[in-house]
Amino acid sequence: MSSELSPLLSVTFHEQGCDHLIELVHQRDEHARRQLASVDVAVYDADGKMLGDIPVDPRDEVVDLAGRLAGHGLAGERVMVVLDSRYDERAFPYRPHHYAFVHPRRAAAAPLYYAVNAVLGGVPDRIGATGINNFETYLFLRRHLAARPGLALGNPSRFATAEAQVFAYYGAQRQTQKVVLEPKRHTEIGLPATLEGEPLGRVEVKSLFKLATYVLARRARSGELVLFDHLFTYFK
Amino acid sequence: MTTPGLPEPVDSMLLCYCTNLTIGELRRAYLDGRWPLPDKERTGKLCTGCLGDLLYCLRRFSAAR
Repeated sequence: MSSELSPLLSVTFHEQGCDHLIELVHQRDEHARRQLASVDVAVYDADGKMLGDIPVDPRDEVVDLAGRLAGHGLAGERVMVVLDSRYDERAFPYRPHHYAFVHPRRAAAAPLYYAVNAVLGGVPDRIGATGINNFETYLFLRRHLAARPGLALGNPSRFATAEAQVFAYYGAQRQTQKVVLEPKRHTEIGLPATLEGEPLGRVEVKSLFKLATYVLARRARSGELVLFDHLFTYFK
Repeated sequence: MTTPGLPEPVDSMLLCYCTNLTIGELRRAYLDGRWPLPDKERTGKLCTGCLGDLLYCLRRFSAAR
């Protein structure tokens, strides 16, 4: 076991008008809450420009992201929030997990609870995992969505432009979209809810390297989020 | 070779979050002909998130040789 701290870089997206609470460490033990050694939080606009960083005390249990972002001039924008953490593997033998609540203010819908997407360091070398991580899938419920589905993608790399293919499956048919993201850029693409009467059944994202990816769905009229979840790597 | 708008690879930057490889370690190993280092062979192959940056750095270091 190494005394060197292990790194983890996780990414989420935040929209103006939402309450957004991030639980820095989801795990607990019998004696106390486990803590990160450090966490740096940086915020980027859709063009990849860094808007600022948010000082966070790793002893904090929950970070009020919306509150901390107030004053960053983000009216109506979606921003990419990058959490760059260091942790002791003796406290987290696998790795820490950040979870979060997001809720559009004044929305009637319930808050959405989700796992923050671990992008870099999500598969630490010491656990010996061999699965691929850059081909991700999300299965939708087998009924028509009463909302507009979509996909939010972000590229947390420093130097490399990402080209991703997004496949949306409707019964035996599929639609393909290509997304190109320069470093730190992010975007949201729409996915038709139905195709020739068939509901959206699954979406896949394939790229050279892992991106920050979330499926989402919005109410047709208000645009309120009613789904926000990361994709999964089913292929081992 | 530089790409406009991109930061320079700085040695202290952590490149691979799965194997704890810094850009400086990669640069030195590559320029000395020791890449991949014995304990860093899986760089870019675990979470895959750094693979694009790894290939970018290797191209940069190759051009500088």
